[in-house]
Amino acid sequence: MKVSLFSTCLSDILFADVAKNTLEILERVGCEVDYPMEQTCCGQPAYNSGYLQEAKQSMKQMMKAFKHSEYVVGPSGSCVGMLKEYPKIFADDPEWAEEAKRFAAKCYEITEFLVDVMGVTDVGSTFKGKVTFHSSCHMKRILGVKEQPKMLLRNVKGVELVDLPMEEDCCGFGGTFSVKNPVISQEMVSEKSRHVAETEAEYLVGADMGCLMNIGGRMRREGKNVKVVHITEILNTH
Amino acid sequence: MSIKLGEVPYKDRVQTGIEDDFMRQAVSSAQGRFRNGRLTQAAELGNWEDWRELGSEIRTHTLQNLDYYLQQLSDNVARRGGHVFFAETAEEANQYVKNIIKKKQAKKVVKAKSMVTEEIGLNKALEEVGAEVVESDLGEWILQLDEDPPSHIVTPALHKNRQQIRETFAKKKGYTGSDTPEEMAAFAREQLRQDFLAADVGVTGCNFAIAESGAVTLVTNEGNAEMVTSLPDTVISVMGMERIVPTWEEMEVLVGLLTRAAVGQKLTSYITAITGARLEGEIDGPEEFHLVVVDNGRSKILGTEFQSALHCIRCAACINACPVYRHIGGHAYNSIYPGPIGAVITPLLEGYDDHKELPYASTLCAACTEACPVKIPLHEHLIRHRQIIVEQEKKAPTAEKLMMKGFAKWSSSPGIYNLSAKMAKPALGPWTKDGMIENGPGPLKDWTDARDFYAPQGQSFRAWFKQRQKDGETS
Amino acid sequence: MTIENREEFLNKLASRLGRERRTEGVERPQWSVTPQEEVFKGMNQDELAEVLEKHCQVIHTTFKRTDRAGLTKVLQETIEGYEGKLIVTSNDPRHQEFGVAEFFEEAREQLDVHVWDPAAGKENQRIAEQADVGLVYSDITLAESGTVTLFNNKNNGRSISLLPKTFIAVIPKSTLVPRMTQAAQQIHRAQAQGEDCASYVSFISGPSNSADIEMNLIVGVHGPIKATYILVD
Repeated sequence: MKVSLFSTCLSDILFADVAKNTLEILERVGCEVDYPMEQTCCGQPAYNSGYLQEAKQSMKQMMKAFKHSEYVVGPSGSCVGMLKEYPKIFADDPEWAEEAKRFAAKCYEITEFLVDVMGVTDVGSTFKGKVTFHSSCHMKRILGVKEQPKMLLRNVKGVELVDLPMEEDCCGFGGTFSVKNPVISQEMVSEKSRHVAETEAEYLVGADMGCLMNIGGRMRREGKNVKVVHITEILNTH
Repeated sequence: MSIKLGEVPYKDRVQTGIEDDFMRQAVSSAQGRFRNGRLTQAAELGNWEDWRELGSEIRTHTLQNLDYYLQQLSDNVARRGGHVFFAETAEEANQYVKNIIKKKQAKKVVKAKSMVTEEIGLNKALEEVGAEVVESDLGEWILQLDEDPPSHIVTPALHKNRQQIRETFAKKKGYTGSDTPEEMAAFAREQLRQDFLAADVGVTGCNFAIAESGAVTLVTNEGNAEMVTSLPDTVISVMGMERIVPTWEEMEVLVGLLTRAAVGQKLTSYITAITGARLEGEIDGPEEFHLVVVDNGRSKILGTEFQSALHCIRCAACINACPVYRHIGGHAYNSIYPGPIGAVITPLLEGYDDHKELPYASTLCAACTEACPVKIPLHEHLIRHRQIIVEQEKKAPTAEKLMMKGFAKWSSSPGIYNLSAKMAKPALGPWTKDGMIENGPGPLKDWTDARDFYAPQGQSFRAWFKQRQKDGETS
Repeated sequence: MTIENREEFLNKLASRLGRERRTEGVERPQWSVTPQEEVFKGMNQDELAEVLEKHCQVIHTTFKRTDRAGLTKVLQETIEGYEGKLIVTSNDPRHQEFGVAEFFEEAREQLDVHVWDPAAGKENQRIAEQADVGLVYSDITLAESGTVTLFNNKNNGRSISLLPKTFIAVIPKSTLVPRMTQAAQQIHRAQAQGEDCASYVSFISGPSNSADIEMNLIVGVHGPIKATYILVD
């Protein structure tokens, strides 16, 4: 199966290992993976801040970059969720409406792709440790991907998965929210950090680097000794 | 007349909320209980998404035909001996009610909890003509005695603790008992019973008007709306113009959604449908019934992309699901409609000037949208508000506009993007220690005030990938 | 009866909706889903009675079950339990049907029973306000929510179920339906055939309550403090 990797700008620039792990997992389950170099950002920072025109420019760039891809797979529920919104955003744009629909239909978040498209629930990895999972808001509510990451995690040898209290709650990142409403954001992430600590897990696992760098950055500031890892790291350890 | 609570700036309101430990504890535990109640009810039904879909279809159809159903409703109220007044503004609505009070020479007015009368400032208007207005919902009564605005649309006095309530009762009503909820509630029962019996006029809101019969449905647990509509000889119901359903069958569906989503009950203790004036020979109920249908800015929402905001049935499920509300409380929204629905409708009803921060008081986590029993896409409405603030109202900060212009350029030009991917690590080098930034420059500062920032791990993924391809070709 | 400002108001709504005024011909569409029809579908009266009994625990309501022969005894016990001296009740033919009229007659010495009397005017309310017990018959009983539906009228004042300290509802088994859906359908069908609904329809589910003080549930606020349902087979 031919897959184009959507690294997300965050993983491309700050967390290259996340994209590397995603690539290697895809190859391991038998995909032929390419990486269109014209890709940039899904446009979410501008879109969620109300800058529709600006957002559309990056969205068009993304549609161009992946025009010839069969599948587009990325390691972020939030960014892939954004791609899935393109048809709505371009619905009244005769030039892009059709392309937006075609594009959105081939986009998948990595755990969703593994479970729903490849039919893989066990990637054959081994990872020793007690982990808890933060389910990111856009992944579960906008993309509707809830069970797939946990199915994959449960099948990793050595992983002990414990429930995170108030798992459904937002971590307070919210993109520009974290800098526009820093006081509220801090309260929210502190609460999340408390809940993570309560689980006594060694690792906090998530499928979105945005949330993870928020929670991880806070926990490090608080001196908490919990390691924050993207799910692809666990799925690619063997 | 205003749904705005005061003049305190947004930042200060947020700070006040965050520093109020009791309020935050109370809100947090209330949210937990309401949320569990809703989820338990949804699970018990088993097909909650079907119910939400039905709720949404009913609201959509009704709003699309609002003129028809309001006409049918008003015809039926009149046929059943009631009067109907269509009020375009809060002032018109208040004036109409004031006229009735004057004509009846009413001294005492008892009220059942109603958000729309809060919205139009009816109590103040009635006091202007010399009537004593008594709120009869326990929570509303507490707030009225304490001259404090509601902070939640279902449990308005959520932010008050029992000691505060006891003090208020003691100061305003000479209460000498303890601060146990039971004893204070018994005291309220005794006091308010006298008010019910002595009242000249009863005023209610309206949960759902039923067009086919001309009925007004009221939903309570305390039974106060039943007192208010049964004992006084004049009853006035005030409804937001969108609070209507075609028939009893839709009322039933929406009431079930409301009580489940609001308080996790299958039905509340009292659901009452009152139709017009009392019939010949009946003793209870009003001999004179008035229905006031209020627009007050709602028609501006009709026919726009925000129309579904009028689907709201005021259950507060979005408020109870909202993590931002949990930390800042209701008063921080500076509107009688707090939380996500408040952030959506307050700027629509009253404009952006005083409420431009509200659409940003959300992480767009969509917990509100998921909780809404009639499927209002609340977080999408918040994004639409932001677009309007940026593109039409031109109220966005200049620095932000410049940054977004830069973003557009960056994300639509692979060349510039490439360069930034290459430059990110060296550019952040001076601030980086052990791969982390603890005290970031410029826009990173707000971030690093509260948390560390991850510096780029090494080369960018694309650089690594290019290298990998090259290695692959040469090997 | 007056209707003021209607035309201008509704014309504006139509214009906001981008179309002409609609004054006739609007029909409810076929909803794509009807989950309300499925709840407890096909259950018989005994199964519904079980649902009702179970839900009474949730709504802080005492549930008793008896047959016509046993009703007066259960009624007497319940009233005694509520220390009932003054009873207010509807002027209802079902008093005869269920032998309750006879019981009132026999208990004349211990019980002061006021039967709602349109001719007595506001005196009815004053008595209800003093009464220990309000006694009514359920017109439709909703199993799912433990709800007694009352079509109030001149012989059955709303005050009976509202003002006394305690509330007793006699529930003829035949009045049991799965949920509010069936009650709403019944009222809707009658209305569609030109039969107006009662001026006051009450759906009562147990005693009044409030959670307005620190979210503590307090049973008994403005309405009755205690409630008993007596299901009669």
